[in-house]
Amino acid sequence: MGVNTVSIATKIYQTLFRRTSTFALTIVVGTLFFERAFDEGTGYIFDRINAGKQYKDLKKQLELRAAKEE
Amino acid sequence: MMSVGRVAQLAATSQIVPSFLRPLIPPIAQKADKLIVQENEIAKTHYSLSKQLANLKLAVSASRSLAGTQQTRCAHTDIRIPDFSEYRRTDNKSNRKSEDSNLMRGRAFTYLLVGSGGIAAAYSGKAIVHQFVSSMSASADVLAMAKIDIKLGDIPEGKHVTFKWRGKPLFVRHRTAEEIESEKSVNLAELRDPQHDDDRVQKSEWLVILGVCTHLGCVPIANAGDYGGYYCPCHGSHYDCSGRIRKGPAPLNLEVPFYEFTDDETLVVG
Amino acid sequence: MATLVGRASKQALLRAHSSIIHQKANLSFKNLSKGKKWAVAAFGTLTAGGVGLAVALNTAVLASDLTLHPPKYPWDHAGLLSALDRASVRRGYQVYKQVCAACHSLEYMYYRNLVGEIMEEDEAKAEAAEIMVVDGPNDQGLMFERPGKLSDKFPKPYPNDEAARAANNGALPPDLTYIVNARHGGENYLFSILTGYCDPPAGVEVREGLHYNPYFPGGSIAMAQALYNEIIEYDDGTPATTSQLAKDVCTFLRWVAEPEHDTRKRMGIKAIMIFTVLLTSAYYMKRAKWAPLKTQKIAFKPR
Repeated sequence: MGVNTVSIATKIYQTLFRRTSTFALTIVVGTLFFERAFDEGTGYIFDRINAGKQYKDLKKQLELRAAKEE
Repeated sequence: MMSVGRVAQLAATSQIVPSFLRPLIPPIAQKADKLIVQENEIAKTHYSLSKQLANLKLAVSASRSLAGTQQTRCAHTDIRIPDFSEYRRTDNKSNRKSEDSNLMRGRAFTYLLVGSGGIAAAYSGKAIVHQFVSSMSASADVLAMAKIDIKLGDIPEGKHVTFKWRGKPLFVRHRTAEEIESEKSVNLAELRDPQHDDDRVQKSEWLVILGVCTHLGCVPIANAGDYGGYYCPCHGSHYDCSGRIRKGPAPLNLEVPFYEFTDDETLVVG
Repeated sequence: MATLVGRASKQALLRAHSSIIHQKANLSFKNLSKGKKWAVAAFGTLTAGGVGLAVALNTAVLASDLTLHPPKYPWDHAGLLSALDRASVRRGYQVYKQVCAACHSLEYMYYRNLVGEIMEEDEAKAEAAEIMVVDGPNDQGLMFERPGKLSDKFPKPYPNDEAARAANNGALPPDLTYIVNARHGGENYLFSILTGYCDPPAGVEVREGLHYNPYFPGGSIAMAQALYNEIIEYDDGTPATTSQLAKDVCTFLRWVAEPEHDTRKRMGIKAIMIFTVLLTSAYYMKRAKWAPLKTQKIAFKPR
């Protein structure tokens, strides 16, 4: 929390937040990236919680079993 | 009574800027004692109502004359200022720094939070709109009926089979070599709706068309008419073995739906 | 009239209070007066107590009730964010098909529902092709039978309710599509019913053709015990004990009743996170906007 953080905050504020137009643009562009990251992130969490239970896991099992039988 | 009270309103204040008009009263910190205020009269007329308004100039006044009062300020010493630290930024609580030095950081933080709220709102808004718009697309049961698998092995050469597809008759014809030959060699100039046979079939042996007459929507009869293809019994339109209109009132060739051969044995229409 | 109302309200607004008009930032709990603290505490206690009482009354076991209430089993999908165990659902489908389907229908299920959920498209097509479906009319206006397709519904064991009753001693085997949501206790109840058959205790008479099951309201159920050890053989080699069979078929029926189960929970994570951000942002904005108003004091001291 020194002079550096203040200047970075100031820089961000002045380039992105100060004008309504750039602020709106920041939100729109931010949403694009956020959407992707958020969907991936929550999907990863859900897959971690439910490891081995979902259809994709069952599908792998079925393929393994089919390969074994052959 | 009231007027006396109002004149006394400023008695608790002191002028911090000297003026010619009023004698300098040294500011004295008064003890904030419990106020005893007399009962208000019940205001019944416009006059008595108006008397309840504070009509003195309580704030700053500046004189126009150079010689006169420059400024009159009322500094209260008898009102305790409440503790507003609940509402102050942590950065600003220090007495050693001016608030201006933290201004940018505070604003940046505020807009950062507002912006992240905006992003979250935009994300959920998009999700909601997407949900409602996608509910307009075809439902799963409609999509399940929209495709039809046809086993080609069941249709011998020279045979014509009708299927029901999306509520319409679908004609699949396994054409013989002579039929293919004659359809390929048709002079396009003779046709009402000129289209080469190659543009109407993917594999020459298989003709896939919708069995709806382009005139008024009757279902044509297969292997009938002057051209050996299809004949519409309603108004006498003759189609050839490529489903093209050759004679009669119909204006266009029979429609070819979207179809593909997934392998040598299966035809998927839709 | 309007002038009267206007005058009265103006008068009320203009009336000075006997003490100072006092505005104070009053947000935190610790600043409240003792009386207010007591009031808030009492309100909170009463609300919590009321909710607790309602819950207790709702789940109370009545002495007059001759039904045994099912215990809560630790289902794989019971958690807030837990998905259905698809391997279990697939085994459950096998149990349904080989045991339950003899009497119970799944009226609202299509073979296409299986695709991508518990089996591949070609497997589901093969499943569908095992049944014969009446279709038509054909060119001659006659109905004909053809092998099932993905767009066909699951077959019904009886053509109508009357036939079902006639074949089952007057009792109607319920449709199982939404049975998990239609019965109190859901999977727990179904599991208890399926595994709870026993001899009636002394003094309890069970009529001819009925069976004793303490979990069934009234105790006498028309359905005989259907699941026994090794009654079927699982494709994946899981030992087919009675409880395994019951667990799998209950999981399957949960999936049938709620095919959107996993999507819903996937969405749950997102909703929790997004609403946290939105709430934080909204609260901050409210405070920022109100700060100028909340940090001023207007005192009026007539002398």
